[in-house]
Amino acid sequence: MTDGLRRVAVTGLGAVSSIGIGADAFAASIRAGRTGTAPITSFDTTGFPYVIAGEVTGFDPEQLLDRLDPRHWGRSSLLAAAASRLAVTDAGIDPGSLPRAAAGTIMGTTGGEAVLAHQLSQQWVHSGLSQLDPRLVTQVPANQIANAVSAELGLTGDTVTVPTACSASNYALGYGYDLVRTGEADVMLVGGADSVNLQTHAGFFQLGALAEEVCRPFDAHRTGILTGEGGAALLLEPLDDAVARGARVYAEVLGYGMNCDAKHMVHPDSAGIADCIRQAHRRAGIDPAQVDYICAHGTGTPTNDATEVAAVRTVFGDRIPPISSIKSMIGHAMGAASAFGAIACCKALQDGFLPPTANVDKVDPDLGLDLDCVPGEGRPARLNVVQNHGFAFGGNNVVTILGRVG
Amino acid sequence: MTTTTAVRPLAVTGHGVVSPAGLGLDRLAELLRTGQPGCSRPSADDPAEFPARPLRLVPEFRLADHLGRKGIRHLDRLTGFGLVACKLALAGLSEMDSAGPGGPPDREADTGVVLGTSTGSIRSVSTLARDTITADRPYQVNPSQFPNTVMNSCAGHVAIWNSLRGVNATMAGGHVSSLHAVRYARTAIRLGRASRLLVGGVEELSPQFAWAWHRTGTLLPAAPLGEGCALFLVEDAAAAAAAGRPRLAELLGCEVSFIGAPSDRRHDPGAALAGCVERALRRSGLDPADVGTVVPGAGSQLALAHAERRGLAAALGRSPELLRTGDALGDSYSASGALQLAALLAHWRNGGGPAGAGIGLVTSVGGDGNVGCLVVRRAG
Repeated sequence: MTDGLRRVAVTGLGAVSSIGIGADAFAASIRAGRTGTAPITSFDTTGFPYVIAGEVTGFDPEQLLDRLDPRHWGRSSLLAAAASRLAVTDAGIDPGSLPRAAAGTIMGTTGGEAVLAHQLSQQWVHSGLSQLDPRLVTQVPANQIANAVSAELGLTGDTVTVPTACSASNYALGYGYDLVRTGEADVMLVGGADSVNLQTHAGFFQLGALAEEVCRPFDAHRTGILTGEGGAALLLEPLDDAVARGARVYAEVLGYGMNCDAKHMVHPDSAGIADCIRQAHRRAGIDPAQVDYICAHGTGTPTNDATEVAAVRTVFGDRIPPISSIKSMIGHAMGAASAFGAIACCKALQDGFLPPTANVDKVDPDLGLDLDCVPGEGRPARLNVVQNHGFAFGGNNVVTILGRVG
Repeated sequence: MTTTTAVRPLAVTGHGVVSPAGLGLDRLAELLRTGQPGCSRPSADDPAEFPARPLRLVPEFRLADHLGRKGIRHLDRLTGFGLVACKLALAGLSEMDSAGPGGPPDREADTGVVLGTSTGSIRSVSTLARDTITADRPYQVNPSQFPNTVMNSCAGHVAIWNSLRGVNATMAGGHVSSLHAVRYARTAIRLGRASRLLVGGVEELSPQFAWAWHRTGTLLPAAPLGEGCALFLVEDAAAAAAAGRPRLAELLGCEVSFIGAPSDRRHDPGAALAGCVERALRRSGLDPADVGTVVPGAGSQLALAHAERRGLAAALGRSPELLRTGDALGDSYSASGALQLAALLAHWRNGGGPAGAGIGLVTSVGGDGNVGCLVVRRAG
């Protein structure tokens, strides 16, 4: 049943992040271990005990977008469209060819247009439901995020937002890969977008999952996540097409695993994650020993990091590869998080380095003394196969495997 | 386009329908037979909280009646629809597996959920946002309600309640969400990511949802809003046949397209729909003349209804039997494609459809630029 499938390459990257706009700027910050979290400016934090998040400052949609009128779209949609436009430019593909191609987009999100949802709720509280602003109403559904990408690029194919919370952009990467692989599409923009917003900040604070100032995954004194945001996109096309047009190939998508813990809405499950990793290896046709690096989900909560490392140990046994968390730098970009992870992985393969975990003072001894979380700054390394984790509320796990094309 | 290859049909082996007709496909069939509208009076909310427009609601829905009292306190109405639809769809699964010569080796690991929703529960999302505005401190939201505000909450709960550890995906595509879910399910099953999937869509008609739609000014005044959930248990049709499992219908070609916002000069939903229908029929190995019944989705918005009619005329070149669900069920947004499919199965159960014609077509045209269609073959 798997005959006639095509190999799939990543040939374009687009990042609109708190540590840089454009994949090169993003990757340079990642490699240097630069942190993009700071006091929140996008909403009034009066009354909040914790006020730090990873916001994208200096995002000018007018400058990055060719077709969309920013007044008609929410921030998450604009972030997704801008990242996708950057990915197309980065891929060196003729943007004029896309509307005629079998091209589409899959975008992940957690909160969708949560900033607009908050504005609508303010109208409800202060003026009543009968006074909702119809312009905001049409901008708020999550499908607008993928729609923004296709409207910006003139795409006519599958245009879907996958709102599977914090692993959503790994879902998007996986589904886009499957669509290209099976010939349903020839070009897919995949990734995710989310915006820092008051409700998400409040929700994670109430769950006791928010850090006060610093996100320090794998550290003995880690206390939680910092909320983050951004737009992240990867351009996928058949490897043969990429080679034929002389494109730079960052990586091949080797496969992915996907499952559901089916145990708890909020708490991750080590056994479920281990199964997901094994499935990813099987589907990618690799052994654990071939994995050179793991880009962790690594939220920085005590529970996540312990659960994740336990799952990795279950699969990898005595030798676990370097495993780091870029959330230490950009915070938890929610629906964009695993796409940022995938971009970091592609750049790591291309440029030859291990992305670091910033803000680590003392690695948690309970995670094992041999744990290499690449503390501080990136290290030079030649990587062949890398693994990218995304876990979410609802027990939605996706692990993607990317490899160097030899 | 890249591919015009034939699709592998998905067999529908179970269904769970929660609609303004009540619970189950039989109730929906009965409603369609009588030609009456579904339940029009809210029972979960004060009717005065809704805008003055027709409504179609799931009647007298109490989750405890179906799942017991334990563990349901924090579940919202939308998730409740999904859980009950799932329960109905999986009923009889054990018998089916034991009756056939062989089922999937590990039902729970190989069974998953693909659910269409573009917003999750708007009630839950907006209530949490309201609490940040009205509470003494802006962070004082209910932590046990917070997980209800993620859009994959329903699919996650369906998995938890039924120990479904396979693929668990949520698809947001506006009115076309449920058809996107079918496309996703087909790809996942074709690639062996799951053996069986519950696929469909869900929507909840809360005052917030109703007012939001009402305020867009795009709805015809007489067009009812609706709610509900339909989930279909699907698997590869050849696998179902080999295992001797009864097939209620087969899902054939499912095609989607995006045409930009209405302000976009490419915006021609009629032409885009015609393209989808032509492609879906070709990939199903069928001709336009094979289509016996069409279940159109766009009835609540005038321009979209016209576009849908134009598209169907262009693709089919004639006027097949139309099964309209707007008056019975209302416009249920993200659930609409799934409830249209449920209506088609109910119609066939009633003996509907032209004699000898076993092919139905579900179409969907969203105001956001998404269009899609699904070709369905009647079983037997």
